[in-house]
Amino acid sequence: MALRELSSLEKFLGLKKPNKYSTQGGQKVPVLQNSNGPALIGLVTIASHLIREAKRPELLGDSAEQRAVVQQWLEHRITRLDNCSKEEINIILKDLNRYLEDKVYLAGNVFTLADILMYYGIHHIVVELAVQEKERYLNVTRWFDHIQHYPGVRHHLPPVVVLRNRIYPSGRH
Amino acid sequence: MTKENVQGAAEEEQQAQSKKGLKKQQKEAEKAAKKAEKQAKLAAEQQEADEDDFAKDRYGICPMVQSQQKLDRALVRVQDLTPEKAEQQIWVRARIHTSRAKGKQCFLVLRHQQFTVQALLAVGERASKQMVKFAANLTKESIIDVEAVVKKVEQKIESCSQQDVELHVERIFVISQSEARLPLQLEDAVRPEGEGDEEGRATVNQDTRLDNRVIDLRTTTSQAIFRLQSGVCQLFRDTLINKGFVEIQTPKIISAASEGGANVFTVSYFKTSAYLAQSPQLYKQMCICADFDKVFCVGPVFRAEDSNTHRHLTEFVGLDIEMAFNYHYHEVIDSITDTMVQIFKGLRDRFQTEIQTVNKQYPSEPFKFLEPTLRLEYKEAVAMLKAAGVEMGDEEDLSTPNEKLLGRLVKEKYDTDFYVLDKYPLAVRPFYTMPDPNNPKYSNSYDMFMRGEEILSGAQRVHDAQLLTERAMHHNIDLEKIKAYIDSFRYGAPPHAGGGIGLERVTMLYLGLHNVRQTSMFPRDPKRLTP
Repeated sequence: MALRELSSLEKFLGLKKPNKYSTQGGQKVPVLQNSNGPALIGLVTIASHLIREAKRPELLGDSAEQRAVVQQWLEHRITRLDNCSKEEINIILKDLNRYLEDKVYLAGNVFTLADILMYYGIHHIVVELAVQEKERYLNVTRWFDHIQHYPGVRHHLPPVVVLRNRIYPSGRH
Repeated sequence: MTKENVQGAAEEEQQAQSKKGLKKQQKEAEKAAKKAEKQAKLAAEQQEADEDDFAKDRYGICPMVQSQQKLDRALVRVQDLTPEKAEQQIWVRARIHTSRAKGKQCFLVLRHQQFTVQALLAVGERASKQMVKFAANLTKESIIDVEAVVKKVEQKIESCSQQDVELHVERIFVISQSEARLPLQLEDAVRPEGEGDEEGRATVNQDTRLDNRVIDLRTTTSQAIFRLQSGVCQLFRDTLINKGFVEIQTPKIISAASEGGANVFTVSYFKTSAYLAQSPQLYKQMCICADFDKVFCVGPVFRAEDSNTHRHLTEFVGLDIEMAFNYHYHEVIDSITDTMVQIFKGLRDRFQTEIQTVNKQYPSEPFKFLEPTLRLEYKEAVAMLKAAGVEMGDEEDLSTPNEKLLGRLVKEKYDTDFYVLDKYPLAVRPFYTMPDPNNPKYSNSYDMFMRGEEILSGAQRVHDAQLLTERAMHHNIDLEKIKAYIDSFRYGAPPHAGGGIGLERVTMLYLGLHNVRQTSMFPRDPKRLTP
């Protein structure tokens, strides 16, 4: 799972040479063995490394505040989103929905790694949602639809259909 | 101990004794005083009661009405109490909805079916204290006869249906008294769900209502629902009679299950057993073969389905139509949809009071329909669902969630709550459905939906004995059991089609209610056999 995300990320970043990854532990944490230096362990670590390799540091955030927000969301992805239980899904979606009420992207107004990794992480949840639930978490659906159409992001994941018009009048059913 | 001490102790004892004695005396005095007070009160009340009750003949409990006399008295309905009757002295028979005493006045709310009016009884020249007390102590739901003067009011009485008038009571008599403890309170039964939760007031849950159905049916909402249901039945009959249909009655005790043996009730029939009819299907068709051309029937349908859902009953009223057509089964679809549209229009034009009454407790959007009725093909519907992200096969039947989603997509796209889905796949329809001539995977069958839920399943029937036998064998049906049915097509049968709707479901969906038991007077489901 994480390996596919990393290879999609490489394609998005336009890195010519795909790296060879291995995994460690029961959780299948990705490991990148570099020729010069110690091994890089962990999805976020490797992703940040790839971004620096591709010379696209703006994807990690421009200002110090933005970088902090990006890191926060990356941590959220690893700690809360991955392997969350069914009861937690609703809480996560509700919080995300409230957070995205007034934001275009997760870290304010620019597209960052936080959007990419959160998209990969939340895809399996959103693809299972019924139309009515997608309308209930309207902001999440809007953000999700935006990210999945961003050129180059969606590689290994099937597109999720999002209807243009609301078919459930708000506040009923 | 010295003598002095002993003496002192004795004195103390004496003093203690007298203290105790004092206390005892005090207590007795208090008791006596209380008793005297009570007696005085009783005496005063007695006096009051004995005080001249000048209104004794203007109130009381009537002896049980055993048709002792023919009173030439006109009783005005609560519904007809309008400002036009102001200053008239009239008699009203109604139930006591609520009664509230306030000092020298007593406010009663009288109710008859969907309508309520306020009545006032005040101590004065015409009414004595005892009379007002009598009125205030009457139990709720008692039936009373009231003679009163109709008075116009300045401020509208918001809580009653008759808002512009009030009754000033002259005489009040009880015709039938109700027990004091009611199994459920009518005000709670009419309270909308949300309001109940918000204000912490009680609402009555469905099981309690159904167990005490007689009282639950008295509420304004129930009265309105069943009057509207009666309207549906009447409009169905009137529209079809005007179209030249004949009403028929079909037997309900039959020898073979018509829709498949799984969901049928068995009854013992003398030395053998028989079944309760799951639908009038077979007999409708036999009537067509008997040259009645256009028939309909209204009667009970029995389905032994162990489904405990919001829309299934084991016994419901089926309104069934069957019609011979000339060349294409769409003639029948047009006829059925026109009937439905006439029913919707009739309800909209003549039952607005009832619809508004129901909406007070169960708010919903008004029912929308198009003229001519929207007709979609099954393939289009599958495409719409796929475009909304649903994964399903082209020849798969629609599951209930998909039906509901399709209903919302159609509402959003075409703005209608009522539509027809034509050309279902053959595999999911019963054996007597005529296959599509152009594509053997589909059939000449259709379903109709209201608010996203199915209300009618119909098709062009196979009217050829040989094809019917083939289709039955294909579905592994025992030919012996349906021999009489197949035989009826051997002596010349016209091409025909039809369908049936459930009365309770149509009423429920038209009003936007959520449980079919609300529209069935004494519902039957796998868990309920009484009342």
